[in-house]
Amino acid sequence: MPVWHKASQRWVNDGKLAVVGITQEQHPDRCRLFAQWQQFDWPILHDPIDVTGAMAVPIVMAIDEHGIVRVVNPRVETFETDFLNKTFPPPPDAAAATPVVAQRPDLSELDRTANKLDTIAGWQQYGDALVLWGGVERINNAIEAYRRGLQLAPRDGSLQFRLGVCYRRRYESQLRQEGDFERAVTAWNEALNLDPNHYIWRRRIQQYGPRLIKPYPFYDWIDQAAREVRARGETPLELAVSPSGAEIAQPQRRFSEIGQDETSPDPNGRIHRDKARLIQTEVVVVPPRIKPGESVRVHVTVRPNQTADAYWNNENEPVKLWVETPADWKTDGRLLTAPLGDRPETNEVRSFEFELKSPDNAQDKVRLSTYMLYYVCEGVDGTCLYLRQDIPVDVQFER
Amino acid sequence: MRRMRLPAATSVLVLLCASTVFGGDYPPRVGEPHPDVTLPSIEDGAAVSLSQFRGRKLLLIQFASW
Repeated sequence: MPVWHKASQRWVNDGKLAVVGITQEQHPDRCRLFAQWQQFDWPILHDPIDVTGAMAVPIVMAIDEHGIVRVVNPRVETFETDFLNKTFPPPPDAAAATPVVAQRPDLSELDRTANKLDTIAGWQQYGDALVLWGGVERINNAIEAYRRGLQLAPRDGSLQFRLGVCYRRRYESQLRQEGDFERAVTAWNEALNLDPNHYIWRRRIQQYGPRLIKPYPFYDWIDQAAREVRARGETPLELAVSPSGAEIAQPQRRFSEIGQDETSPDPNGRIHRDKARLIQTEVVVVPPRIKPGESVRVHVTVRPNQTADAYWNNENEPVKLWVETPADWKTDGRLLTAPLGDRPETNEVRSFEFELKSPDNAQDKVRLSTYMLYYVCEGVDGTCLYLRQDIPVDVQFER
Repeated sequence: MRRMRLPAATSVLVLLCASTVFGGDYPPRVGEPHPDVTLPSIEDGAAVSLSQFRGRKLLLIQFASW
């Protein structure tokens, strides 16, 4: 896109052309930082649910004054002769161009229509409007709208994809429910199974998936962008959600096994188990099903149980996660640690990511053993304990 | 980021759009109208419709920062 930005500036300044971008990604703030970095000065619209139905990006279109597509994926070198300097007659039924101002839709009206007519389109339009205009506080309504649509059309991939977007958004919000990330991945995977040629859907899984299936690193540019923006004397726009390890990891052609020489920190299981679940864990395997010989990326998210008033104890060594693999399996992280908090007791979310490569003869479901060791306190200034939690990781294989 | 430029409206027609339900393949073929769509701006969340640019030549770029 920087190529088109640079090329179009003169035409825009001369009043010959308007430029509009539509970004196909979950997080608008990441695109805002990208636009700040690249100094894009044209409007960019956010389409997290792919309402246009684009199967892949980038797509560049030259559209005439009457709204007619004249060139798809034009070339910069011939843009003036192919499009800009040409005169396009209005279509026979064209009405005179009237300036318009777009407004947000009436969510209540769409709600009434969806419930009254109970059609797939009605639920989709209501769900779309909630995602685009309702804010995260209406995310549960959006999930319900898409689920109602899927009751009518269980094999509608676009509804499945949209549902996945909603679950991931809720996972990253204060409204998060246990299992939301896994629900998002499952919905995206279902969408992709229904249409394996849809690259927008495929990218959403690859974003969180193993390095062997990544086409590129997705968000590895963020640090460089922030540095270069600061060097210009500007403040980089803040991100609501920092990219995870998967989102900045480099693609890989061969699986790199790491940590073979590490030894288990509790080989005989002598550390007491966290029976009170002072630390809550969530495991998501991406993708949810693989063929034998393929790899998965495992996301382990851990947080102190707020109901139990639990806190990390940061006056000791960091939290450790040990990954035990059966014979013929490989991992790129045998013994992982998470950084300590900045105060003696904290209750932030911590996460681990590692990858597993399955053997060629794996089938059905394989349960791998991991366990975590941590110092946790029952309340601020309360009793602190050193505990272990066994965390099974299930890898499912396609039949 | 510099401010984004939107076309000025003199006499104004208000569009009340949810998201358009698109039919058919995307992108449209050459010679076909581009469906109108209303989406939030990444800058401030304001509603922006492609039909706001009617009357001007438009370069529409669908992309992602990844």
